[in-house]
Amino acid sequence: MKIEGDYLLKASPATLWEKLLHTETLAKITPGVKHLEETAPGQFIATSEIKIGPVQGSFKGDLSIKDKKEPEGFTLVLSQKSKIGNATAEVKLNIIPESAEETKVKYEGKAKLSGVLARTGQRVIGGVVKTLAKQFFKALEAELAKGTSDVEVSPTEASPPPSPEADTPPA
Amino acid sequence: MTKMIGKSVKRVEDKRFITGKGQYTDDIILPNMVYAHFVRSPYAHAKILSVDTAEALAHPGVIAVYTGADVAEVNGVPCGWQVNFKSGETMKEPKHPLLVVNKARHAGDAVAVVIAESKEAARDAVDLVEVDYEELDAVVDPKKAAEDGAPLVHEDAPNNICFDWELGNPKEEVDAAIAGSAHVTTLEFANQRVIPNAIEPRSYIGDYDVAHDKYTLYTSTQNPHLIRLLLCAFVLGIPEHKVRVVSKDVGGGFGSKIFHYAEEALVTWIAKELGRPVKWTADRSEAFLTDAHGRDHVTKAEMGFDEEGNITGLRIKTYAAMGGYLSTFAPAVPTYLHGTLLQGLYTTPKIHVDVVATFTHTCAVDAYRGAGRPEATYLLERMLDTAALEMGMDPAELRFKNFIPAFNGVDEEGYVTNVALQYDSGNYHPVLQRALEMVGYEDFRKEQAAARENGKLLGIGFSTYIEACGIAPSAVVGALGARAGLFEVSQVRVQPTGMVSVYTGAHSHGQGHETTFAQVVADKFGIPLEHVDIVHGDSDSVAFGMGTYGSRSLAVGGSALVKSIEKVIEKGTKIAAHVLEAAEDDLEFADGKWTVKGTDKSIGFGDVSLTAYVPHNYPAGLEPGLDFSSFYDPTNFTYPFGAHIAIVEVDKDTGKVSLKRFIAVDDVGNVINPMIVDGQIHGGVVQGVGQAMFEQAHYDEDGQLITGSYMDYAMPRADDIPMIETDRTTTPCPHNPLGVKGAGEAGAIGSTPAVVNAVMDALSPFGVKNLSMPLTSESVWRAMNS
Repeated sequence: MKIEGDYLLKASPATLWEKLLHTETLAKITPGVKHLEETAPGQFIATSEIKIGPVQGSFKGDLSIKDKKEPEGFTLVLSQKSKIGNATAEVKLNIIPESAEETKVKYEGKAKLSGVLARTGQRVIGGVVKTLAKQFFKALEAELAKGTSDVEVSPTEASPPPSPEADTPPA
Repeated sequence: MTKMIGKSVKRVEDKRFITGKGQYTDDIILPNMVYAHFVRSPYAHAKILSVDTAEALAHPGVIAVYTGADVAEVNGVPCGWQVNFKSGETMKEPKHPLLVVNKARHAGDAVAVVIAESKEAARDAVDLVEVDYEELDAVVDPKKAAEDGAPLVHEDAPNNICFDWELGNPKEEVDAAIAGSAHVTTLEFANQRVIPNAIEPRSYIGDYDVAHDKYTLYTSTQNPHLIRLLLCAFVLGIPEHKVRVVSKDVGGGFGSKIFHYAEEALVTWIAKELGRPVKWTADRSEAFLTDAHGRDHVTKAEMGFDEEGNITGLRIKTYAAMGGYLSTFAPAVPTYLHGTLLQGLYTTPKIHVDVVATFTHTCAVDAYRGAGRPEATYLLERMLDTAALEMGMDPAELRFKNFIPAFNGVDEEGYVTNVALQYDSGNYHPVLQRALEMVGYEDFRKEQAAARENGKLLGIGFSTYIEACGIAPSAVVGALGARAGLFEVSQVRVQPTGMVSVYTGAHSHGQGHETTFAQVVADKFGIPLEHVDIVHGDSDSVAFGMGTYGSRSLAVGGSALVKSIEKVIEKGTKIAAHVLEAAEDDLEFADGKWTVKGTDKSIGFGDVSLTAYVPHNYPAGLEPGLDFSSFYDPTNFTYPFGAHIAIVEVDKDTGKVSLKRFIAVDDVGNVINPMIVDGQIHGGVVQGVGQAMFEQAHYDEDGQLITGSYMDYAMPRADDIPMIETDRTTTPCPHNPLGVKGAGEAGAIGSTPAVVNAVMDALSPFGVKNLSMPLTSESVWRAMNS
């Protein structure tokens, strides 16, 4: 499955670079993330709780950052396991200056799902990823506005956009 | 006594079904029973690096966890049919282990099984089994699987090819016939994979009685004796007389419950290991993932015509998915149940069919209502309507022109096809003629033209099908690769009071045998229906049987029943003659009594029965009792046929297809219970419409079944279907005593192409000729707007 999108933020590439690579900030602003622990430079163990339409689960696994090119971008590699199936993703983030005040973060990559997650979540997952990404950037925006990283971000329940074919609302 | 054959008697079994008194396997609770739940691969193709069961074993209530290593010494699940390569080489038949050892080959492949005191504990502990997988690339498309470099499902099947097979006239002759044709219609299409969706999920209980060294397997199967044979002789190597297989009420099968599944063998094996009964019932998600799927063909078809529209030749190349493992009947479906049907109702002089069966990283594919015959019918009928459009001919006219002339199979020979069959009897014009009358064809064409003027898209689609049922003459199918005979068995036990217990090897899982078979017995003996009890689904009660599939129950099982009935009447005549002091030849048996011809001297069925069991005044040398068994092996398949017509309306703005009318005129030979036959036709039609308009088992490129629940797998609903208009013609089967041909699959075989053809007719102003099933609003809208 393809993942792509972008978001415009009021910050310089250097500030964004700093925030995006700051473990605690990252843990706070990433929707669903319960815990993020750096085990080696650029290597993390992440635990998260995600609810996608009818399926919900606790995920645990590796998160790593590679191909760092300050302040232009990096690649996020995720490998998460759960009882409802596993997810792997490789997403490239590009930090692109748009103007003196604004910077665009563009992301693109691929995700692979398995198990129940793939079987019953596939149809809504594209919308879910978009929602999660939006929440992530909103939280990042709030973080930038504060200047310091003490924003409370609760674990997120992502509601997928209503699907025209769904005849029951997502649980 | 009124005639019972031909009467729409209400189904006697329905009382227990509609009052919740049916006994399905999951209803059975044995003392001391434990529950199984499976650890299934989330990946379509993955190496199993390690399986750690420690945490699961420590979970409260968990008794045992078995992995592939524990059953590595047990045989795998066998395949019941062998199809050879063109070269004569035997098909590739990789082992199908009860639990995966090194490698998972489809999403849902069983890696381990947890046994616990409760269902809930087993379910919870499944999450605690740690399996380390290394995910590998997968291939899910039957044609792509054969390409060089495709990921291999089994290392010993190069290019994933299970077999390549051909049938028909020499290829060069067919090539020449098509090359010399005035017109050639070519279509490439998929007959998409569908999921059987029986309302009752598969359910098994294994039990072992140490006192008698005897196993009992309760199973939701369509053929208990076949399961016993496969389980004993091929998988567990246990003696057959020490195994009882019970299959009481079964909530639908549609083919998917014919096959011997690994879970059946596992619960039986574990029951002895643990000394406790073991139950497993699939949840709906497992049913989606692991009940053998249907269809999944990718086909290129070319049909030649002369200038008058006579078919000159047919050339087929089909790739058929077998899935990750060979299921019981799988190799027979695209070959002997598909290739052999490509003559259809037509005089096509030259036919060549080439089938490549491939392994894919998917659930196994096997027989599903119609099994091969719907694929053959879809192919032929799509070709006919497309050719008619291309040649500017009327699709009904094109069919009339190419129909095989009528033959009754009695004083006229059966029709020998170019694809290995001899049709028993057929009269094809009247079914289409009748369907055209019912639909009001001429008026419809006018209505359609007027509607088009007003921007309304109406379409009509035809399908005239033949199927091979009454499966099957053992010698014939043996020569074709079947590893079993396909006869049927009956026992008619007349009790001392004249009540009759019938034991049949056929199995009812919704078909209404308890009514239909009882009607045959009541009719032949001239006794009330209530005096007859039909027993099936228990290998300890019923001598043997091959079960129910391929529309065979009445044609084969009913014929076995008639043989036993005749034996009872023959012996009864001896007893009656003795009691009445008359010669046997002077007696006639009718209306439940033996009468001395031309007199009022008679003796009733009950009195003869009592005499047989209280033989005080009895013929010398005649054994007491009135109890006969028979085996019936048919001499040929039966060949029902029919004409289906669909009328649809396509919404121009949304692409939504509405089925407006459906006309089904079928000829299933003689009919025992018209209401039940109508019900079978209705159900079959809806299932076929489901494939045309709604259903698709879709695997993504990683081999994930993304239509794994009813959120994404669309089934037809009542409001999608108009009242189905049915009628029948009757061309009796010439080679079985009831003259019956079988009705269980006809609806599913005929209906699918009729609906698709109707949509193509509606879309003809847009130049759309070929669309993949299912015909969703999206695909139809896109076709109109591209």
